[in-house]
Amino acid sequence: MKFLPYLLKHLRRNWFRTTLTVLAMALCIFLFCTLQSVLAQINLLLEGTSAKRLVTRNSVSIVFDVPLAYGPRIQSVPGVERVAISSWFGGSLPAKKEGKSEPDSSSSTTDWSNFFQNLAVEMEPFLAMYPEYQLPPEQYQALLADQRGCLIGRKLASKFGWKLGDSFFLESFIPPHRKPDGPFEFVVRGIFDTDPVKYSATDTNIMLFHFKYLYEATGRQLSAGTYYVEIKDPNQAGEVSAAIDRLFENSDAQTHTETEKAFQASFVAMAGNLALLLNGIGVAVTFTILLVVANTMSIAVRERRKEIGVLKTLGFTSAQVMGLVVAESLLIAAIGGGLGIAGSRGIMWLVTNTPGIKGALAGIGLSELTLQPLVALLGFAVAVFLGFAAGFVPALGAYRARITDMLRTV
Amino acid sequence: MAMVDVRNVTKVYRKDAEELVVLNGLSLQVEEGDYAALMGPSGSGKSTLLNLIAGIDKPTSGDVMVAGTNVAALGETELASFRSHNVGFIFQFYNLIPVLNATENVELPLLLTHLSKAERRERALTALKVVGLADRATHYPRQLSGGQEQRVAIARAIVTDPKVIVADEPTGDLDSKSATEILDLVGTLNKDFKKTIVMVTHDPRAAERARTQHHLEKGVLKD
Repeated sequence: MKFLPYLLKHLRRNWFRTTLTVLAMALCIFLFCTLQSVLAQINLLLEGTSAKRLVTRNSVSIVFDVPLAYGPRIQSVPGVERVAISSWFGGSLPAKKEGKSEPDSSSSTTDWSNFFQNLAVEMEPFLAMYPEYQLPPEQYQALLADQRGCLIGRKLASKFGWKLGDSFFLESFIPPHRKPDGPFEFVVRGIFDTDPVKYSATDTNIMLFHFKYLYEATGRQLSAGTYYVEIKDPNQAGEVSAAIDRLFENSDAQTHTETEKAFQASFVAMAGNLALLLNGIGVAVTFTILLVVANTMSIAVRERRKEIGVLKTLGFTSAQVMGLVVAESLLIAAIGGGLGIAGSRGIMWLVTNTPGIKGALAGIGLSELTLQPLVALLGFAVAVFLGFAAGFVPALGAYRARITDMLRTV
Repeated sequence: MAMVDVRNVTKVYRKDAEELVVLNGLSLQVEEGDYAALMGPSGSGKSTLLNLIAGIDKPTSGDVMVAGTNVAALGETELASFRSHNVGFIFQFYNLIPVLNATENVELPLLLTHLSKAERRERALTALKVVGLADRATHYPRQLSGGQEQRVAIARAIVTDPKVIVADEPTGDLDSKSATEILDLVGTLNKDFKKTIVMVTHDPRAAERARTQHHLEKGVLKD
């Protein structure tokens, strides 16, 4: 610690160079932390799936529906335990009208700032295949009894301060999901929790309501967005999926059935091999920054050859001088790393709280994007490694240099 | 007793197949409390000899006894420790650290000790007082004149209370007035503080101040 003032003074020797190097390191760690956080959140999303659940969708694209008649036929496939319709509603809270503290139910303007996932489902079979959603029996019964009733997760309830019996309105941006007379009204009939140990990846920031409500309110024109299929034996996933798709291979709406995990992953795969892309970017940036910091330290040591000779003359050992050079590099890395971590945290807070972006993230289950402590720690470790690696070679030069040679430097 | 006893020292520099003999079987004694000047033409080996005495270089053969220790036989770490406790070095071009102020420059050798921050600060300020620069304690080298910089360098050389002070042309980069002030100061260190001084110089005025003069030529003493 007694050498810290000495190190800090040397960082101030060339403000501009030090600042640029610190910012470069900050950018590297910012990118690393942010990209790893996105990957971590995606992996968390995929962990929240079950091997016993399949998803059947239109083979052309997820945006096309699947006929309602398919449900009973899927149920008849050997190995299928139960089937439930699930349609992504795409609803958002209507915006508050000026002068009113509550949202205006007749308003056609949506409030994207508080978007959350909301699904229209066949409630009984859907909840039966989701043991993750833990609900008291009386709430379950109340939910089934009220067509306008909805089930919300604990996180969602806390976010909006909703309690059992509270009502709110949602309006979808998807035209077929809109009523002519305005937004849909929902009443909170159930608030589910989940076992944080057994189902740590389960998202409680979602809302489920009755598909029947959506179907009838929109004039009975809708089809199913997807079918969730619970199978008896997870090892039969491939066979059952193929059997389901064979049923409809000669129909107008052919299907594609896959595991729930593969279904979730397909959203991510829309951006290509995201893990490879993000990790590739991370590696490229990290290597570049290593070169930048190493260059800075090389220049710093070269500029101070005589000073290093003086330190050794005064009695500093070669190891101590080497340690000072490495310490200076580590200090730059630590400051840059800290800034990068703070920046990453900041940007994630920003995107998860900016209307529009927040909505898009919620749509793919990334509304809880945050910088995990482990990722931050890893980011700092990367910074420390870069600092050490960048400073090592110049430090070794300082270690090996003869005093008389260094004192002769002009 | 001799504070510095150089015994039959040879220093040879090798570059590829070429050999350059800088010191050739040289022997020299500097008594404790003496003020010795090493003189000679350029390339005579005087700076090389000074470096051997200071322990920042090693002879090819021979022994260099300083304060009773054969510095030629010490390992790198031991030698560094020996220098920090026993040798004060004054460079021709001061060699102050530009980012440190006067006090911090003087304090630098004390970072290798177990003294507390307050103790280090106190000793540094005392050394600055000895050289007459207590009022420049917070000034940076760029804010000091050449003579003042050299005085700070002298304060740095004496702050650890070394047994031997070696000076490599301490007035070489100074004007006449500043050079006189520095020589006065070095004289005071010898006379009042009983420090053993070994000084390399081209300057006859500087050599006059020394009690003993040694002349080198082509790596041998011409006394």
